[in-house]
Amino acid sequence: MQQNRNVERRTVLKAAGASLAVAGLGATVTACGGDSGAGDGTVTIRYAWWGAEDRAERIKKSIALFEKKYPKIKVKTDFQPYLDFWKKFNTQASGGNPPDVFQNAIGFLRKYDAKNVLLDLGPQVEAGNLSLDGFRAGLEKFGEVDGKLLGIPVGSNSMALVIDKPVYTKSGVKPEQGWTWDDFDAAMKKIRDKAGRAGDSGMYGVMYLYDLYLRQNGKAFFTEDGLGFTEADLKAWWSKAEKGIEEGLYADPKKVAQIKPKSAVAAELAAGEFTWDNFTVRYTSEGKSEYGLAPIPTTDGKKTGQYLGSLMLSASKRTQHPKEVAQFINFMVHEPEVAKIMGYDRGVPATQAQYDAFQPTDPVNKAIAEYEESLVAAGVLEPITPHPNGADICEAAFLRIGEELGLGTRTVDDAVKQFFTESKTALGT
Amino acid sequence: MGTTVTHAPATEGLSKDERSEPRHGPAEAPSPAALKRRGRRENLAGYLFMSPWIAGFLLLTAGPMIASLYFAFTDYNLFDAPKWIGLDNFSEMFADPRWRHSVRVTLWYVVVGTPLKLLLALGVALLLAQKRRGQAFYRAAFYAPSLIGASVSIAIVWKAIFSDDAIVDRTQKIFGIDVGGWTGDPEMIIYSLVALTVWQFGAPMVIFLAGLKQVPRELYEAAEVDGAGKWRRFWNITLPMISPVLFFNVLLETIHSFQIFSSAYIVGGGAGGNACGPADGSMVYTCYLYVQGFENSRMGLASAMAWLLLVAVALVTAVLFWSQKRWVHYEEGA
Repeated sequence: MQQNRNVERRTVLKAAGASLAVAGLGATVTACGGDSGAGDGTVTIRYAWWGAEDRAERIKKSIALFEKKYPKIKVKTDFQPYLDFWKKFNTQASGGNPPDVFQNAIGFLRKYDAKNVLLDLGPQVEAGNLSLDGFRAGLEKFGEVDGKLLGIPVGSNSMALVIDKPVYTKSGVKPEQGWTWDDFDAAMKKIRDKAGRAGDSGMYGVMYLYDLYLRQNGKAFFTEDGLGFTEADLKAWWSKAEKGIEEGLYADPKKVAQIKPKSAVAAELAAGEFTWDNFTVRYTSEGKSEYGLAPIPTTDGKKTGQYLGSLMLSASKRTQHPKEVAQFINFMVHEPEVAKIMGYDRGVPATQAQYDAFQPTDPVNKAIAEYEESLVAAGVLEPITPHPNGADICEAAFLRIGEELGLGTRTVDDAVKQFFTESKTALGT
Repeated sequence: MGTTVTHAPATEGLSKDERSEPRHGPAEAPSPAALKRRGRRENLAGYLFMSPWIAGFLLLTAGPMIASLYFAFTDYNLFDAPKWIGLDNFSEMFADPRWRHSVRVTLWYVVVGTPLKLLLALGVALLLAQKRRGQAFYRAAFYAPSLIGASVSIAIVWKAIFSDDAIVDRTQKIFGIDVGGWTGDPEMIIYSLVALTVWQFGAPMVIFLAGLKQVPRELYEAAEVDGAGKWRRFWNITLPMISPVLFFNVLLETIHSFQIFSSAYIVGGGAGGNACGPADGSMVYTCYLYVQGFENSRMGLASAMAWLLLVAVALVTAVLFWSQKRWVHYEEGA
């Protein structure tokens, strides 16, 4: 009996050991093979994006739908806030382990193309895994750089003036398509005098707005390989900013810095802010007031310089599964059900099928849809100017130095000089 | 099967003549060959036990340091192969006003924060060295901030305390000072960091306490008999007697201050926005190093900055060691 029990125990131990070894082996295979997956043809792809919890919920639901339709493809997600996302991405990509597919934006296309990180999705389109049909307003061209298809737009958005509606009404300001910068300046004074609030939160640091202003005057922020404006241009822009802060037309930069990451509009420090139209959703959840969209002021009463911006999905050049990645991107941009889940979270859907599938019912999303339609109707949309390699660093510098100017730690001359010095380093010009 | 031997006898593996001897204590000298063999065996065991540490040191410390020293002389953006550029990184650094600003901020932080922290630590240690009720409680209470102080969560709490319309701001307003919170003010944010480090005075305090316990009572008694007052006793007995401990604390805290990163990074922005405070107000050296390395992808430049910091800290340490001859008193024969 005694012996028997021992034998039994040994067998059990052996079996346990064996299964442990197998499990260990299995773990090793999964770990090393990573995406290669098991022998049954199941493939795992990694999908990274920036955003917050709300977006995470929506993306999770969309992926569940995708995995149901493609049972052989598993999607693992990873997300961070915007700045942290790029730090992590940089580290992963340089270590040769970038996510297979990831959210991307125009400012990074040339940068990562130059670093050999982005997969040309062109061949996948030819192979039929990814369709470029049905994109709105020529958006399918958006991620094309030097003949390579480096990103597929998921949604479009446009710069707008997001306003605190009751404050504007109280001040008697009614912005209309085609209003000029003089009208805008007069409106700022009215809001300050009648509502006792600064009219704007600090437009002098918003690179995308300055770009529109330059385009209204026949220039642009970027050319293909450098800056498209002079030191004198920037000096004029920032001088006006300095004056606006002194006169209380723009919000006190110290206060704006304090309440970050909350927006100045939602914190009732300013009556409006130039930003992407889909941010209205965020302000509505942050603030107590009612928020709406106003058009971009113009120089000549017609041209706003506007273009559609977009979030994109890009793939890594090192991915082991270009086909599955292409299928995933295709699903995310074309599947009508995904649009119903995502709403306008990543901008207005890029494809007509998704655009039709999601009909907003709440006032905020409705306002965004109306705003974008009004842009199309007014015919102000133009093609976007390219962003050179290093554009992301220029943007960060523009934002930071603009803030320093506002906080009074730099004079205008000093700020302009510093921006041009840093940009030249970043752009290698 | 019932007699399974689980442990080998302790004597197994020893030579015959050793086996008859007790393992410790006096013994006849074993033959040289046996000694050699045992020595080698013990060395081997020693190295075996040390091997995780040695491997860790080579892989995680020495290797990266050598790599970083090489990168310091290259242009390296993480993606393309490093390009040798000699001393260009260093000359770029010196020409960069942002870099010079970060050096100024760091020096200011070290020069103001460290003495304040040590003063408070010494002061509280003097109070706690006396016998009183609840002594253990007070010691624990004052030491607690140092235990949790290095954590990210405290930095987040700190940011909440010193931001606009938070407790510090509101208290100021009661006294009629309406300047807003400290974290959004490029001039004030560095003070909130100094406050954070001063608050964490517990570690040097404990060391001071240990030092104070070592001062012989007779010295005080003798001085008292001679009519020396409280201050006199402090200046002429306590301070010289604890000067080695003071030296140790000055050294350690100075080095720590130079390396400040996580608190500055989080209070100054961290996730979202400028990582180094409004208008670079809290941009300490390591913060700028991080920005160059991870935000601007300039690892070569960041490595050069790191090595320069190492050299600077080494120099400051050397100066402190040199100065100790003048003010640190070691007891004869101790």
